[in-house]
Amino acid sequence: MAYSIFKSIKVVNPEIDVSDIFDVIIEDNKINAIVKNFDEVILSDKNPITFYNCNGLTMAPGLVDMRVNIGKTENLKLTQKVASENGITSMVLLPNQTPKLNNPSIIDHIQRQSEDPSLPKVWVYGAATKDDQSLQMCELGLMAELGAVGFTNGNKSIKNSLVLRRVMSYAQMINRPIIQHAEDEDLSGLNQASTTSIRGEMNEGEVSTRLGLIGIPSCAEVIMIERDIRLAKLTGVHYHVAHVSTRDGIDVIRKAKKEGVKITCDTAPPYFALNETELLSYNTAFKLSPPLRCEDDRLAVIEGIQDGTIDAIASDHRSRSNDTKIQPFSAASIGASGIETLFLLTLELVHKKIIDLNKAVSLLTTNPSNILNIEKNKIDNNKKATFIVFDENAIGKIDKNNLKTSPTPFHGRKTSGKVLGTFINGHATYIHKDLEEKIKK
Amino acid sequence: MNDLLNKIQKNTSTSPVKLSSHHLLSIEGMDKLEIQSLIDRADFFANLDKHSDTKFLQGYVVLNVFFENSTRTRVSFELAARRLGAEVINISLINSSIKKGESLLDTASTLNAMKPDLLIVRHPHSGAPILFANYLNCSIINAGDGRHEHPTQALLDALTIKRRIGYLEGLKISICGDIANSRVARSNIHLLTIMGAEVRCVAPPTLMPSGLEKLGVKCFYNMKEGIKNSDVVMLLRLQNERMSGTENPSEREYFKFFGLDETKLSLANSNAVIMHPGPMNRGVEIASALADDTNRSLIKTQVEMGVAVRMSIIEALNYTKHQI
Repeated sequence: MAYSIFKSIKVVNPEIDVSDIFDVIIEDNKINAIVKNFDEVILSDKNPITFYNCNGLTMAPGLVDMRVNIGKTENLKLTQKVASENGITSMVLLPNQTPKLNNPSIIDHIQRQSEDPSLPKVWVYGAATKDDQSLQMCELGLMAELGAVGFTNGNKSIKNSLVLRRVMSYAQMINRPIIQHAEDEDLSGLNQASTTSIRGEMNEGEVSTRLGLIGIPSCAEVIMIERDIRLAKLTGVHYHVAHVSTRDGIDVIRKAKKEGVKITCDTAPPYFALNETELLSYNTAFKLSPPLRCEDDRLAVIEGIQDGTIDAIASDHRSRSNDTKIQPFSAASIGASGIETLFLLTLELVHKKIIDLNKAVSLLTTNPSNILNIEKNKIDNNKKATFIVFDENAIGKIDKNNLKTSPTPFHGRKTSGKVLGTFINGHATYIHKDLEEKIKK
Repeated sequence: MNDLLNKIQKNTSTSPVKLSSHHLLSIEGMDKLEIQSLIDRADFFANLDKHSDTKFLQGYVVLNVFFENSTRTRVSFELAARRLGAEVINISLINSSIKKGESLLDTASTLNAMKPDLLIVRHPHSGAPILFANYLNCSIINAGDGRHEHPTQALLDALTIKRRIGYLEGLKISICGDIANSRVARSNIHLLTIMGAEVRCVAPPTLMPSGLEKLGVKCFYNMKEGIKNSDVVMLLRLQNERMSGTENPSEREYFKFFGLDETKLSLANSNAVIMHPGPMNRGVEIASALADDTNRSLIKTQVEMGVAVRMSIIEALNYTKHQI
């Protein structure tokens, strides 16, 4: 038996809405006890014991990142590792990768390939249709049996209403949510034949006009959500809106929730931390989908987080090579890295007193687990020892040159908070040197 | 070279202009004094006999790098650089390395390695010259980037107006047509508002970009209202290559509502002048007879002023680079 003792650590447990100082004792891969003033003598005959002096530090359940795009399968291990260094202990992959996650065998394969009890658990969404334009439903049932936690076309909308209706009713039967990237792609110019000169590139408004870039009107989001809500009501499916970014979209979701529609949504840090004016230098790190919106939309996202309309925060990680980003804006790839900044930006909401720490942690742990009905990380007796240790107040600055994934839209941003340790199933997956110094063997 | 410069400076009230940057990427961000100085200097060049000795940039190497078709702009830049004594190489990259998969920045840095003093860049993507300026160490002139800006066109338009009317401040100037897809419109809007003109934009809503009023202009969907009492009517080409086909029902419908004809022009100031950056679609943006009316149309003067303006800009960028 191996033991670890986390002495005098503030434990945040969103499920019970209490955060207090405790001593937490880990026995192998389980949490053995959470007590006040633990007497180490009890364990005096046990060996080995790792003793962490955690004065001033905080423990929270491991983070669940419900929206990660890895692009190519071979990047998966690296992504898992980088995620773990940033507090993420479970992540859900979008199906838009090479190869596409659109059949049961690839769903099975990717989970086996990523299986490593000391690395973040990889969950997967299955593709809803064979390809983005397809009218053919994928084998949702078989994929669900092999572990697909929900269905989506990832960064593309499920566009055809008839197909969506069928996919929704089928998903409802097998008790899986439908996750939608809500964008009317006709309106945003994405469905225009081959030419790239009229495809929407950023939020439409004064800034797009100044830059001479093609605007995507913000209503392209709410139009899709409104239609989808009708179909969600018709089919009874659990409908989840991904990376919601507009005031109108959030208002409609808020109203639907009040009406009792089975609807949830998430957002990502760029949408509460940045707005479209960042693009004024044509910096392609800010080329995202959905695009960065106007300041009023950003404020609405914050209000949505505060009042609970927005259920979760996901990284929306979509790492891109510099080669595809050092391009004229129109030619640059869409997306930015997110797993390395998810927790820091969410903590920023706490430091700005927009939400409390408990709420922040729930947005990153319990809520996404509930939405996807996946295993919940919990700091409780006899639960798996999957948690993070962090310093809420460590001052830092995001530097793109120090990140392992690129590009970041948050280069130069000051941060408060730092993940010092990530423990997955009792494994010390990641220990920062600041925590190492606090170890007494 | 310095002797020549001194001689010219002695003979005129103007001298090479010092700008805040050794690139010319956009009008947005320039100040009134810079614009005024460039126009004054260009005015001086325009008054010179074309055989005057202005070759004080000998040994200066200019690459005309065009990723999009152009005749008048490319020739105009070439003439301007040659009149200053510079060496000019024209490179058309519409069908070249780009098609072989080379990235834009690789192409640019390859050219940069040959140590030109100035790259004149036209590119179909908004912001492309800014990317060049961020990574290369020679001067960059934006010769038109996507829908963003075409700063030298706005400067030559300003010189054209100034030479005809005498001033810009307080003039009522109507910019009519495909504003949404026009870099000329954006540069002109910035320049003319900075210089204190009253700018009106006239276009169907499908070609009027969102939030345009925030650039300090008044927007009109009715051309007759939009050009009422105007001193200058600037027309823009319908940029069909940047459209999806749903912007306009037809060319004849466009001409009926937004093409300049005698009836509409009669609502403008009686001395109003007509401008067009070219190339023109006769019978679409403008009635053919008006385009050829030398009393009203400044279209040819615009082309002529292009050379003088570009001389003043190339000279200014060289001067600025060596002053910094």
